[in-house]
Amino acid sequence: MNLKLFTLIGILLCAPLSGCLDESVADNQEQECVTLPAGHDDDGKLRILTYDVLALTDSMVEEFESSSGMEVEFIKESDAGGVLDQMMLTKSAQQADLMIGLDNSYLKTAIDNCLLRETLFTQSPQFENISTSALKPYQGELAIPFDQGTVCLNYDENYVDGENVTLPTSLWNLTEPQWNGKTAFPSPLSSSPGRAFMIATIEYFENDDDNQTDAFDWWSEMSDNGATFTSGWTEAYETHYTGGYGEYTVGYIGDSHLTVSYCHSPGVEAFYSSNWTHSTSLNLPKSSFHQVEYVGIINGAANVAGAELFIEHLLSNGINTLMPENNLMYSVLENSSLPETDGFRFHADIANQPAEIPISRIEMEMEQWLTNWKSATQ
Amino acid sequence: MGKGRSLIFNLAQWVIITSFALAIILPLLYAIIRLESVTGNSSLDSIILFFENPETLDALKFTMVESLFSVILTLIIGLPLAWQLGRYEWKHIPIIRSLLSIPFVMPAIVAAMGFLALIDQDGPLQKIGIDLRSESGFIGEISSLTGFENTGHFIALIVAHAWFNISLIVRMVEPTLSTMDPSWEEQLRLLPAGNSRLGRIRNIWLPFIGPAIACASALCFVFSFTSFALVKWLTPNNSTMESLMAESGGTAGIYNYRVDTSEIVLAICLVQLIILITALGFTSRLQRKHSLRHAMVSESSARNSRGKPTILGRITILSGLIFTLLPLILITWSSFIVRTVEDGIVSNEFTLAAWENVWAGDNSTIALHEALGNSLIYALITLVFSLTIGWVIASTINRLELSGKVRMAKIVDLISLAPLGISAVMIGLGILLGILRWSPSLFNWFMVPVLPHVLLTTPFVVRVMLPAIRSLDNSFEEQAKMLGLSEFRIWIHSRLSFLLGPLAVAGSLTIAFSLGEFGATWILVRSGSWDTLSILVDQLMSQPKFNPLIYPMAMASATILMALTFVLFLLAEKVRPSGEGSGF
Repeated sequence: MNLKLFTLIGILLCAPLSGCLDESVADNQEQECVTLPAGHDDDGKLRILTYDVLALTDSMVEEFESSSGMEVEFIKESDAGGVLDQMMLTKSAQQADLMIGLDNSYLKTAIDNCLLRETLFTQSPQFENISTSALKPYQGELAIPFDQGTVCLNYDENYVDGENVTLPTSLWNLTEPQWNGKTAFPSPLSSSPGRAFMIATIEYFENDDDNQTDAFDWWSEMSDNGATFTSGWTEAYETHYTGGYGEYTVGYIGDSHLTVSYCHSPGVEAFYSSNWTHSTSLNLPKSSFHQVEYVGIINGAANVAGAELFIEHLLSNGINTLMPENNLMYSVLENSSLPETDGFRFHADIANQPAEIPISRIEMEMEQWLTNWKSATQ
Repeated sequence: MGKGRSLIFNLAQWVIITSFALAIILPLLYAIIRLESVTGNSSLDSIILFFENPETLDALKFTMVESLFSVILTLIIGLPLAWQLGRYEWKHIPIIRSLLSIPFVMPAIVAAMGFLALIDQDGPLQKIGIDLRSESGFIGEISSLTGFENTGHFIALIVAHAWFNISLIVRMVEPTLSTMDPSWEEQLRLLPAGNSRLGRIRNIWLPFIGPAIACASALCFVFSFTSFALVKWLTPNNSTMESLMAESGGTAGIYNYRVDTSEIVLAICLVQLIILITALGFTSRLQRKHSLRHAMVSESSARNSRGKPTILGRITILSGLIFTLLPLILITWSSFIVRTVEDGIVSNEFTLAAWENVWAGDNSTIALHEALGNSLIYALITLVFSLTIGWVIASTINRLELSGKVRMAKIVDLISLAPLGISAVMIGLGILLGILRWSPSLFNWFMVPVLPHVLLTTPFVVRVMLPAIRSLDNSFEEQAKMLGLSEFRIWIHSRLSFLLGPLAVAGSLTIAFSLGEFGATWILVRSGSWDTLSILVDQLMSQPKFNPLIYPMAMASATILMALTFVLFLLAEKVRPSGEGSGF
């Protein structure tokens, strides 16, 4: 028999072999969370699973290493979704001790899958310094907020000049011809700001006057109106959006005048361009989502003590109040604010009534929302 | 050689070949079985689902369209180059051939960076009015006329694929042309069938160089079909099957979580396997046909009879060289240019700042010198394994052919080619899932990415070594035996000393391909401390670029990767046996 044909048939017939995978049975069973033994050797190093969180500056990590005497090693994923994927994939033998970067749209999935273990930080006096807004989505012992911001729509003021194109007063305005092919959205399937904005649209359309349509009808109409969907925030903001710094970068397309970012992104733009920006946020009620990012000890960590120390370090006054400059996000500490330098605070907008969907509902319905979103935008 | 030792020797050869075959099949098979288990679909169901899912269907359409257009453009650019280079007497022809071949060994991520620089706002294409980036001017008109979205980026992608693959056309077609007896053409001109250009094309050129063109086109199709880094960076709004599989790979194989991605990966893997096996089978058949028509007269006499190249010929070759080198020059140039924006006004500054930053590294990215060290370590370990395995496979094929076991020789040959037909992403995923299943402690072991590197470079070693081993004259071995030399010295004098050239070529190519390997490493490198140069370039490019140093830092890393590959390739060309114009 022809070898190629033989190989193909062999592969196609291997379906019955899937029964050999006994782990599928174990993984499918509902389980009560227990503290797992270390998934890797404890060699004194602290292994941190994260994405490119800018707050983890060289000086911040060096300071920790010299004060704790521990070496820090990073296992980097491309984004918050990647952090959760990695933890799910290595569930039976976790390779890191500490997770940094899951937000409130992903956190409940991690908790429900027993991927995190309790931290003692909630008993520390430092925990009292965390603002109530940061603790609103979750205030248990499995994850500690370390930064926050509100995801909302940003638009280019050069396009929305008030004469030729007027300021949208409803999300439905974006389905009109003047916005045809001029909006870019990071996909909720692969981007955390994309996911946050999709959650906001659920609440927005549940609370509007029209009971005949829901968020996915809007997404479907946006798709028909030529909206661009990208895999991550960077592609939407940097490659497509005309209002941001992307216009000065390589690979820029500049075909969209509205995208998803943070309400304070115009402030960041000004901060990096000597108090100059032509981007601003679209402040429609319920069209934004308060995003909180968390740090948590991984269930299966080897260096738990080191992980506890790092949480304390990340939430210390000296480090966390510098979040706006270092991480371009708000600090989670009480009484902290954005810097005045170069118009950062001036251009940063405060969201008008962010969407309020509890994380338990997010976890329960997310799979269905993502499926609906996919069908609506295909 | 004694009978016992010969048996052990043969056994060792088969152990190596079987291990190689298992190393290809097991990760793939395990990945398929695991994905079947996670999705609850059989492979046949998955193939049916592939044609029902708009996302995978779109990826298939885009992959087929970009691959076909890439092949056509490669032929349009490559054939005139091969024609001019093959028919006339050129000074420094080895250098011209080498320069035209450089793109093929360049890491795909370097090519992507080069083309991003080419289509950039201040890039050379924008300066001559071709705006592939924001698609204004006539590129925009093409978009609105055809209704095809992102035309500019699509054009950039197929030009980049053509850049990557022109050497396939040149290296395969040029030797056939340069060894064709010029008197055939003269005789045909006297006949009615050959007095028109079309008649000569139909009656002499197509039958003569057609198989070489078809063979090169089929390989070009395979490489464009499995393209990942170029698609990721040049057409961010479109996915090929390979890039969609890579994007979905992060969540594939996990029970009760994002099962849709497991379905996509399984379906694409199987359909891609069928298409690639068909294309490779076609290539293999054409290669056999092509080799029958080779070497009709000596190259120098054919060239002498046609004389010096014409002005048109010189312009063609010069344009080809500029096309080849421009993206590479732009990468280096871009690494020194840092943009600053003040009140919306952009200015460029020539500075070494990006080099200094990337050399030192930070917590976000590994230092350049460390990434360089990692890349070299992987490349050297890959070299040892690939050369050994490749040599053993090539020797075995030759031995089987000599002993009349042609069918078995073909099977071993197919095994050696198999990694080219299997997605690097799928191999990476299979290894990753397998390790997690059976030996999680190996998860962050630095040696893990070596396995796909070895699998993906060995086919090239076999391709280079096999013709050389076939052409070995056995009489040297007989003579060495008669001199009473030890078996080791017989091996050195009758085999190794004749194979040093091809071995150096295979070695350089192995290192070059290992340095540039992206797909499998992208899936497998989980610990930041073992990032390679190509991963570093990708990581830098993926970062938000409000920091104006990020882009030139990525370009600086790509420059080092390019320079390293360039030096290795020149070394390989220097030791390549003279007169060997074709092949890699």
